[in-house]
Amino acid sequence: MATAQRSEEIDRALAQAAAETAAKADVKPPYDEMHAPDGSVRPHFAVMARRLAALGPGELDERQRTLERFFLLQGITFTVYGAESSTERIIPTDLLPRIIPADEWARIETGLVQRLQALNLFLADIYGERMILKDGVVPRELVLGAPSYRREMQGLYVPHQAYANVCGSDLIRQEDGEYAVLEDNLRVPSGVSYMLANREASKRTFPGTFRLAGVRQIDRYPDLLLTTLRSMAEWRPNPQVVVLTPGVYNSAYYEHAYLARLMGAPLVEGRDLVVHDNMVYMRTTTGLRRIDVIYRRVDDDFIDPLTFRRDSSLGVPGLFNAYRAGTVVMCNAPGTGVADDKAVYAYVPEIIRYYLGEEPILPNIETFLCREPAQLNHVLGNLDKLVVKAVGASGGYGMLIGPHASAAQREEFAQAIKADPENYIAQPTIQLSTAPCLIDGEVDARHVDLRPFILSGEKITVTPGALTRVALRKGSLVVNSSQGGGSKDTWVLAGPGDDLS
Amino acid sequence: MMLARVADSLYWIGRYVERAEHVARLADVMLTATLDRAETAAQVARIALSAVGDATPEKIATPFESARALALDRMDGSSVVSSLALARENARQVRDQITSETWERLNLVHLRLSGAMAAKSFNDGSSAFLHDIIADLHLFKGAADATMSHGEGWRFLLLGAHLERAQLIGRLLEVCFGRGVERLDHPTLTAVLRMSCALEPYLRVYTADVRARPILEFLLLNAEFPRSIRFSTDEIEAHLSVLSRHTEAVHVGPGRLAGRLKARLQYADMAEIEREGSHVFLEGVLAECGAIHSGVYDAFVAYPLEMRLPA
Repeated sequence: MATAQRSEEIDRALAQAAAETAAKADVKPPYDEMHAPDGSVRPHFAVMARRLAALGPGELDERQRTLERFFLLQGITFTVYGAESSTERIIPTDLLPRIIPADEWARIETGLVQRLQALNLFLADIYGERMILKDGVVPRELVLGAPSYRREMQGLYVPHQAYANVCGSDLIRQEDGEYAVLEDNLRVPSGVSYMLANREASKRTFPGTFRLAGVRQIDRYPDLLLTTLRSMAEWRPNPQVVVLTPGVYNSAYYEHAYLARLMGAPLVEGRDLVVHDNMVYMRTTTGLRRIDVIYRRVDDDFIDPLTFRRDSSLGVPGLFNAYRAGTVVMCNAPGTGVADDKAVYAYVPEIIRYYLGEEPILPNIETFLCREPAQLNHVLGNLDKLVVKAVGASGGYGMLIGPHASAAQREEFAQAIKADPENYIAQPTIQLSTAPCLIDGEVDARHVDLRPFILSGEKITVTPGALTRVALRKGSLVVNSSQGGGSKDTWVLAGPGDDLS
Repeated sequence: MMLARVADSLYWIGRYVERAEHVARLADVMLTATLDRAETAAQVARIALSAVGDATPEKIATPFESARALALDRMDGSSVVSSLALARENARQVRDQITSETWERLNLVHLRLSGAMAAKSFNDGSSAFLHDIIADLHLFKGAADATMSHGEGWRFLLLGAHLERAQLIGRLLEVCFGRGVERLDHPTLTAVLRMSCALEPYLRVYTADVRARPILEFLLLNAEFPRSIRFSTDEIEAHLSVLSRHTEAVHVGPGRLAGRLKARLQYADMAEIEREGSHVFLEGVLAECGAIHSGVYDAFVAYPLEMRLPA
């Protein structure tokens, strides 16, 4: 009860803060995905708006309940770890799809391909010749001192220079409607199963509207993923691919099992694998069987207790040596985290220019590095306007949202920043765009972001769809599922030249 | 070829689901018997409780509470709710290996049984509640049969189910008839047939002549009734002989044991069994089942690695 009450209080405070912010003349209101500033419905939302207007009261609510039941039955759940016990919950899912017109998607797609191309080249460089560091484009100590930098990867051959085979980038939409990259996730990004499950659900909920709107298909994702993974072991005629999961207690376990099932690949745990003579085998009912490609959903630290963390019981002793010997491929490659580090992020536009000689298509959010004295002073002087993030943390933890924080909280953070400036970055508070959501039976606007999924192997492909994450509390900007966020389907509309598939 | 861990999980799903169904049926028969004479009710409760655990005088005297515990007590590892939680946990670990249709059935019955409303539903109508659970588990088996490929995984599932079934029926028969064909009254004998889901098939073979000896014969040796020990051992042998096809000759231990057990039941003679004492025969069958279980582990799951490494 106490927590529920507290979160209600926070809700009220946040809503008030948002209203006050919006009231100030110099702050623009967030971009509305459905309505133009004059209140009219944007053209790409028109079919949906007509459908919504035709629905009777209570009908939406009933469809929402049907959808939640579908998720529960299928076991599409994540695990919440409490003090005493852990429980399974369905991820809060909103049935109203977010819609993206074809021209906007075309820009997102080329921007994402460009970005991942550059990041793969960056990884190949820093684990190889280190030209970008020698040329002084990115500070040497920023890269080599990052906790996610893996010395063990130095000089290793990675097929197609595809380090980040699966990437989930977080995009947001600024007040003027321009898409920008908030974060690159190059380690073990998750959420793709929710993208696919949300699609199943929205097809059931709005079959007619779905057909009328001309939505591009995303169900080839598992097939594309398998093709990508296989392209990493081309020297083997029929490579054996497996999905490596930390196990049933991992919060993303459903996704691991889901992808394994749809790819037809065995879902293995560390205890199923054996390394012998630098080759990796799985224990089957008929003996040991050789493995070629491991789509690993285990963090770098827990892959191999002999190479990385010694206290890990999830990993496979000797796996990294087998990888180094080239008898097995791990996807994503270890050490990709250094390219999505929050401090390296600030240099991504430079990285794109350096390797590709092109201007970035998708901009970054302006980022202040507290490691630079001038920028540190700016951050400390403007804590009430900035969002401060710890470089090593993710999932919405270790974060200060300046305008919504108390003076005491800001002071506490200022001390932490001064004590360890290298560990912090700051960004201006950005309004996420809003999309219509079904909240307590009524359609109301909530802030959303966008996580598309990009695959890179022999070539780079972007699936025409995404996970749209929703901040369910009114006015809130935090979309992480561990912090009260939900998700919804994303319809990418086909343009004149697009095939639906 | 499948992961050893996956085979192990499927095997245990088979066992746990079979156990859950059996315990739900025992609880249901026990409750129905409370409508009979007091001695019969106590006798049935004693049989049901002994077949799956302890039959203390207190438990026998409070059949409703005992039946509820059999169904819903999470602290009791062999209750229906515990067995199904374990079956579902195993299914979650091999979610990629079972079809969505099969998973959905198991998940649904698990959610119903572990949900907040379970105790209330039981109190409001225990018989309907237990009946629905048994029906749901039949749907699970039907979905598995109709939607899963009848390959290795499915065979491990059924191997577990039939091994568990043979042991459960074996234990029930031991409790009823282990010390010779005890004098059980007519309602109790009918209850025993209900506990093995055998009343109607039995009547079709032996007509309404409900007596201890033919019941023992039917549940031990009938070739067609799916819950007779003979039927289960036939199935165990059939699945193991296919599963063993791809393992090397050294590892055919469980297949050999299963073949021997099958032959033993196939060529058994009722008069001979009675001369030796039915408990001797039943103990032998249960010991063989235990040996097959260990053999399955040694051959398919927990085999020593040195034997299987490439040269």
